[in-house]
Amino acid sequence: MAGIFTVAKKELLDIFSERKFLLIFGTLLIVVLVSTFQGALSYSNSQSSTGTITIGGQGSNNTAPRQVFIGGAESLSNALSSMVTNFSLVGGVLALAISYDTVNGERISGSLKTLLSYPIYRDKVIYGKYLGGLAAVTAVTSVTFLAGMGIFIGFSGLTPSADTVTRLTIFFLVSLVYMAIFLAVGLLLSIAMPQPSTSLLASMIVWLASIRLIPNLGYAIAQVISPVRMAFRDGGPSFTTGAGFDTVRSIITALSPSSAYEQIVNSMLTTNRMQFSSGQVSVVSVGLNQALASNATLLIYLAGLMVAVFAAAYVLFMRQEIR
Amino acid sequence: MYMEPVIEVKGLTKKYGNTVAVDHVSYTINGGEVFGLLGPNGCGKTTTILMLMGLISPNEGTAVVNGSDIKEDPMGARRQVGLLCDNVGLYENLTARQNLRFFAELSDLKPREAEERITKLLTLVGLKEKQDVKVSAMSRGMRQRLGIAQSLIRDPRILVFDEPTLGIDPEGTRELRGLIKLLAREQGRTIVFTSHLLAEVNRLCDRVAIMKDGKVIAIGSIPDLRKQINAAEGDEFEDVFLRYQGVV
Repeated sequence: MAGIFTVAKKELLDIFSERKFLLIFGTLLIVVLVSTFQGALSYSNSQSSTGTITIGGQGSNNTAPRQVFIGGAESLSNALSSMVTNFSLVGGVLALAISYDTVNGERISGSLKTLLSYPIYRDKVIYGKYLGGLAAVTAVTSVTFLAGMGIFIGFSGLTPSADTVTRLTIFFLVSLVYMAIFLAVGLLLSIAMPQPSTSLLASMIVWLASIRLIPNLGYAIAQVISPVRMAFRDGGPSFTTGAGFDTVRSIITALSPSSAYEQIVNSMLTTNRMQFSSGQVSVVSVGLNQALASNATLLIYLAGLMVAVFAAAYVLFMRQEIR
Repeated sequence: MYMEPVIEVKGLTKKYGNTVAVDHVSYTINGGEVFGLLGPNGCGKTTTILMLMGLISPNEGTAVVNGSDIKEDPMGARRQVGLLCDNVGLYENLTARQNLRFFAELSDLKPREAEERITKLLTLVGLKEKQDVKVSAMSRGMRQRLGIAQSLIRDPRILVFDEPTLGIDPEGTRELRGLIKLLAREQGRTIVFTSHLLAEVNRLCDRVAIMKDGKVIAIGSIPDLRKQINAAEGDEFEDVFLRYQGVV
């Protein structure tokens, strides 16, 4: 274990001393804090106002529209959705920026040859490098979360219950897994690609695929399989989707770590939701167990993806010749 | 001065696709010897060294380093050798002392012992005054000397220097030569090194192996090599080397 911690400690110190890290971490902190502040104000307003929505009316079975009171129904997920999106965007970039040159950078400078000429097993080197990166993203996520939650609680007036704290803790842990996936992707690319510039480009392509390409592909494939149809009914446009549209779209979209992450976190932070039934609207609470059960597949998928990508990086590194 | 063989290379072969980088190379290096591995770029010198260090696997053959077979016990083989690779291979963002401290930690040296050894090595290579200077701010010659200190951190009896004089000015080359002599003649370490500076090889090496196209084409002491091709008395070692390479 001594070799692993020696490599991990050096990796961590290297990451913290790099300008690119400080730059992206600063950006992450700013965007997350700004979006949390906005979310806190929105949450605070929703708790103090008497919000209403209109149900019924034209095109419905009801004859006249009605105003329904929904004050205080804003869920944590609405208030923090912007923070979640920003974290998924910038957090992924940060994790990739940390790891895209972990191995090929050392290979080019020659230090990898020196390092591996020591009596240290190769797996200790790759474990140490990943562990160092994980320690860095844990520190980043902890600071960002503590600062974000401090602002949120301070400005929203929320008194965290045990349930809220558990939900926020799960949010934190899922965020760590999300960062760990991109960290492993960067590591894998730094082993597979000879030049840091190439692995940086490949990392950016993976990131774009995660935030844009896969979700868009999900929509496009679902459209082909089960097209959305538009018709004019009761004087206005009406869209109908086939039975498989939502299923196909959600399955493909969830393959993107960013979409899966946002879906899990938003679901975990949804403390209550509105339910429409027989022309009546009611606010029902969503239990933590219920949220966990409905996202179990995605949680397993994210954890499995992290393990699978790191395993690929491990195998490649162990088999690679250092020239 | 020379003792038993400490490195035995037995039919070592490395292929990359259809290209044979090292072709059934065999030789023995004795303890306390300064052994030069010579040849043009791409002749297989570095590949041979990397196989000895277990960084790349041979397709055929093996080598035994102080009793440890590089295939069966690569870790044991590595424990015996200190490597200075062709591009020095130090961490640019760390200072001289930080670099050595990192490698000392990897070698499981106790902190106190490590600090003492680092100070001793920095003094030996003449970098004690520069111990807090980052490697990125060092000249090529200083890096090479620090690289030698790095190779000595575990106090190995065998040192492998790949192109230690590459890109160094005459003054730096002279300092390095002095250092290599000290390590070999006074401390009795076995040194294997590659170089294109044939005058240095002539001054330092007890024996040399000349490589061409992945094969060892000649091996022996420099007087023996001169004798084998009937070199004239006035011929430089460079002339001898080029004749072996078939250039003149």
